[in-house]
Amino acid sequence: MADQPTALERFVQGILPENPVYRQLLGMCPTLAVTNGMKPAMTMACSVAFVLLCANIVTSLIRGLLKPHLRIVVFTLTIATFVTIADRVLAAYLYQMSKTLGPYIPLIIVNCLIICRCEVCASKQNVFTAASDAVGQSIGFGLALASIAMVRELLGTGGLFGIAILPTAWPDWVIMVLPPGAFITLGLLLGCVNWLEMRRS
Amino acid sequence: MSEKNEISGQGLGSDIAIHVAPSPHLSDQTFTTRRMMTDVLIGLLPLVVMSVYVFRMFAVTQLVICVLACMASEFVFVKMRSKPVTLNDFSAVVTGVILALSLPGTAPWYVGVLASVIAIGIGKVIFGGLGMNIFNPAMVGRAFVMIAFASAMGASAYINADGGVDAMSMATPLTAFKQSGVATSILDLFVGVTNGSLGETSAFACLLGGGYLLYRRTASWEIPAGILSTVIVLSAWADMSGGFGGGFVLHQLFGGALLFGTFFIATDPVSSPVTPKGKWIFGIGAGALIMVIRLFSGYPEGVMFAVLLMNAMTPLINRWTIPKPTGVA
Amino acid sequence: MDDTTSEKRERFQNNNLLQAWLVLTLAFIFGISLAGVQAALGPKIEANKIKETMEKVPEVVLGLEAAQKLSESGEALNIQSRIIEVDKKDKKKFYTVYEARFQDNALAGWVAKAGGQGYADKIELLVGIDAQAENITGLFILDQKETPGLGNKISDTAWRNQFVDKPATSPLVVVKDKSQGPSNIDAISGATISSVAVCGIINQTVSDIGPTLTSTKKE
Repeated sequence: MADQPTALERFVQGILPENPVYRQLLGMCPTLAVTNGMKPAMTMACSVAFVLLCANIVTSLIRGLLKPHLRIVVFTLTIATFVTIADRVLAAYLYQMSKTLGPYIPLIIVNCLIICRCEVCASKQNVFTAASDAVGQSIGFGLALASIAMVRELLGTGGLFGIAILPTAWPDWVIMVLPPGAFITLGLLLGCVNWLEMRRS
Repeated sequence: MSEKNEISGQGLGSDIAIHVAPSPHLSDQTFTTRRMMTDVLIGLLPLVVMSVYVFRMFAVTQLVICVLACMASEFVFVKMRSKPVTLNDFSAVVTGVILALSLPGTAPWYVGVLASVIAIGIGKVIFGGLGMNIFNPAMVGRAFVMIAFASAMGASAYINADGGVDAMSMATPLTAFKQSGVATSILDLFVGVTNGSLGETSAFACLLGGGYLLYRRTASWEIPAGILSTVIVLSAWADMSGGFGGGFVLHQLFGGALLFGTFFIATDPVSSPVTPKGKWIFGIGAGALIMVIRLFSGYPEGVMFAVLLMNAMTPLINRWTIPKPTGVA
Repeated sequence: MDDTTSEKRERFQNNNLLQAWLVLTLAFIFGISLAGVQAALGPKIEANKIKETMEKVPEVVLGLEAAQKLSESGEALNIQSRIIEVDKKDKKKFYTVYEARFQDNALAGWVAKAGGQGYADKIELLVGIDAQAENITGLFILDQKETPGLGNKISDTAWRNQFVDKPATSPLVVVKDKSQGPSNIDAISGATISSVAVCGIINQTVSDIGPTLTSTKKE
């Protein structure tokens, strides 16, 4: 246990060096599905942050009681509970957004990012470290979603957060807000990240 | 020991170097990428002339935009990968011309530019340059703008009554047939005085250019044969069962991008199968997909999507049709 | 003697239920908390769903301007929902219809909720019919996932306004050449399938519930 990263290291690691999307390639389903606009992307990032934080804290609290062969069941149970809470809250207070996101909020249950953090960090380290890990990873996930959504919404609709930014003469690249645009943007941005990484070293 | 030294010494001393390479051992030194691309350009010439004759300035502008944009993106993207610049093999020019001929003349300038950048960048260079691409680059570019600017590329975009070009005042033959059941006369389709993408209107020009490519063996004959025979069979079947009253086969054959796509797009040696058997499978598959899309989908024309789908199947077809070496059970 | 006790203890420790005590406890706690969340938020979510439809009823029946004027003057329509059952050949079809009345109990019109297959996915819409059950008073698209830039123009006000004052007694026809006619609806260029789908849903709905509405009016 001595060589486990500290809380601060966990926090910093999650943002860029171990970015969930660009470095670990986790959580691809929401990354591709809801990044056609900044609003849904940010709602998704906040929901994931909430679920991840709660799941990490609960898992860390009960880490002493976990049996190895039953841990996945416990993780899934915990995650599913908080996802359901997030889903209900969105439906009650942000009804239109919850309709836009559709099945992708319930699908957070199978977002590998969260179960990965429970397994790697929260089930081994104390509550404080687990919480800071969750916050760091959530910021990293949010930044990644924002970067993809920004490119797609700007090119696809000429605006951000639904507010027009580019001149009206801008021809909307409709393909960018459709599924193919998600794959193209993610691929190109991943390529850029790897290229920058190669140049740095 | 001394004998061995003598032999190896002999080998090193003489000027004859021995290359060990797999077959084929006969190679035609003149058959280069550049010669092949020049052939394709000569084959495209009748189509270019016809498109300029029918669409006037619309065709000229679109051709200039696409060729320049393709060459510029080839230069930039290859530089980015720090590889030697490959502009002088003419492949970028060919992509540019094919792309321009597959676009509607009325498409705004940015459509051509974006399609060229996507075609060369995402369609070709990202995969490792010419010879490594999975999909036909020009069709990747066209598919991108087709979905991105659906309103500038859809059926209604072809019509431009104010341009002073007669052909552009009517719907494209396949759209007219699909939406209102009006069949364009076969002679018009053959000569090419109809509306459509720049290079696809004249069946005569496509046959002329395609014939030249087949004669020069730049394009293999199996793919066009496969596509055309499948389309003839399926459209004859549709004609008989749908009661279109004859003429349907020729209408399907000469209308739309079929001949253009068959000779100049589907025969791309990089993205089509290697073996003769594979080429037949590729051709038949593409022909069947074209007819399925034309008859049953929302799109009037299906050549582009059919070729792209069959491109994706090419590695698999190549694996299925590996020829058996002689003497192996 | 010792052997049997340790064996018993081992068997006790390996008991499936005992091993799963944590899972069971967590499931119990989480279940209770989820029930609490549902109890607290459930009514609000239901209200959201109803509100979404109800809010649009005055606009669809009276038109946007008249609806705004009405709400400015502090009045509101009395809206009652009812289910209209239509007998099809092999099955029964149910329509939710909202009956809108002015404060003096005069009938303002009806709004029917209907849905059907579009180009990409199901389209859900509200169609308004006047008190005489003769004309369409408005259209609102509740839910659609048509292609952005083409099919999603069915939600545009300009296109939807074509439906106002079209007859509800004869089926609507989609045209592509902007030709005028009492029942003509101009198709969105490049999105004929979406346009035809919307008109199809409306034609189906109006012809299904029309007879029931006419008989209600007479009562």
